[in-house]
Amino acid sequence: MIFRAVEDADLIRQAAKGAVEAYNLLVSRWEKRVYNYLLRITGHREDALDLTQDVFLKAYQNLRKLDDPGRFAPWIYRIAHNEAYSMFRKRRPETDVDEIEPGSTDNSITVGGSSVFPVELSLAVASSLERLSPEQREAVVLKIYQGFKFEEMAEVLGCPVSTVKSRLYTALELMKADLAPVRTRGVS
Amino acid sequence: MSCSPFSIDDYFLEELSAPQARQVEAHVKTCAACGEELDRLRILGAALRSVPDEEIPQRIAFVSDKIFEPSPWRRRLAAFWNSGARLGFVSAAMLSASLVVFALRPAPAPVVAQAPGASTPAITQASAPSLSRQQIQDLIQAATDKAVGERSAEFNRQLTDMREQVSLTSYSLEMMQKRYQTAVAANYTLPKESVAKPGDRQ
Repeated sequence: MIFRAVEDADLIRQAAKGAVEAYNLLVSRWEKRVYNYLLRITGHREDALDLTQDVFLKAYQNLRKLDDPGRFAPWIYRIAHNEAYSMFRKRRPETDVDEIEPGSTDNSITVGGSSVFPVELSLAVASSLERLSPEQREAVVLKIYQGFKFEEMAEVLGCPVSTVKSRLYTALELMKADLAPVRTRGVS
Repeated sequence: MSCSPFSIDDYFLEELSAPQARQVEAHVKTCAACGEELDRLRILGAALRSVPDEEIPQRIAFVSDKIFEPSPWRRRLAAFWNSGARLGFVSAAMLSASLVVFALRPAPAPVVAQAPGASTPAITQASAPSLSRQQIQDLIQAATDKAVGERSAEFNRQLTDMREQVSLTSYSLEMMQKRYQTAVAANYTLPKESVAKPGDRQ
């Protein structure tokens, strides 16, 4: 079992008092997760990296407003969500967020896959994720890749739990249909 | 439509309580349709997780970043200022100054007395003999201690504010520097094959 010498909540309290070293340690613990969340919903590495930097800067500036350090995870993902959608709107102010697609093929996430799974399967998963609406994709990312509960997802996304469930169930149905042929060839 | 007592999706997504999850597990053992549905979800989950997280291309911040380390003189100043010697040093300096001023004054020591109708103490010569030199020194000491305490508190507060401002500015500069480096690397780095080596020229 791995024990953390200092819990996140302690680091948050210290950082809120101006301890930069504590905040840096906190960043080092969370940067990969936040970056991958942003990478999966934007599809661009450069955008994801820029947004990650903005997220942690904004979090630092507003750390004193975080009443409960135990809620740091949904709080920082909420900031990340807002930053990502702010960027979407700036780039296409006239377009509804529903119509915004993730990154182009050139810059989209490279699916290297792992040695356990065939590359074909990883490509199909990436393609299937891209076909979802941005809201459905974000729900899948928060649940499957980030492991949030429904209530936390609602907090991050700023919508009711029922909406979160609806998006997620629909996404799962669509992806099951998308990935069925691959399943028969790749995994089973 | 699933005939499971609870949602198979919620079971797959680990949103059911332990008793609810046990009921679903018991159900799928006896219901082929629900068992297949759960299998499909598990395969979907495995497929999704086959696209692993990426390593972040560059760290957002490091604990050992030079930019966050104070300069040597600042470390020494902070070490002194945060030590117990601070108040002792300031108190001794103030006391010495007040004693020197007191010793150099040629006039008889003034006396603090309450003037009739005045809200603040007034200094009069008439009652000069009523206070001893020791009492006067005590009064000076008390005033000095009070002034030192007030100045120390004010200085500490200003120092804390300055530290926060410096931290925030440093962090902002770091972010800007990293973003600039990323932009330069992305836009101005030549592909390897386009860089001619000296030995390639024939």
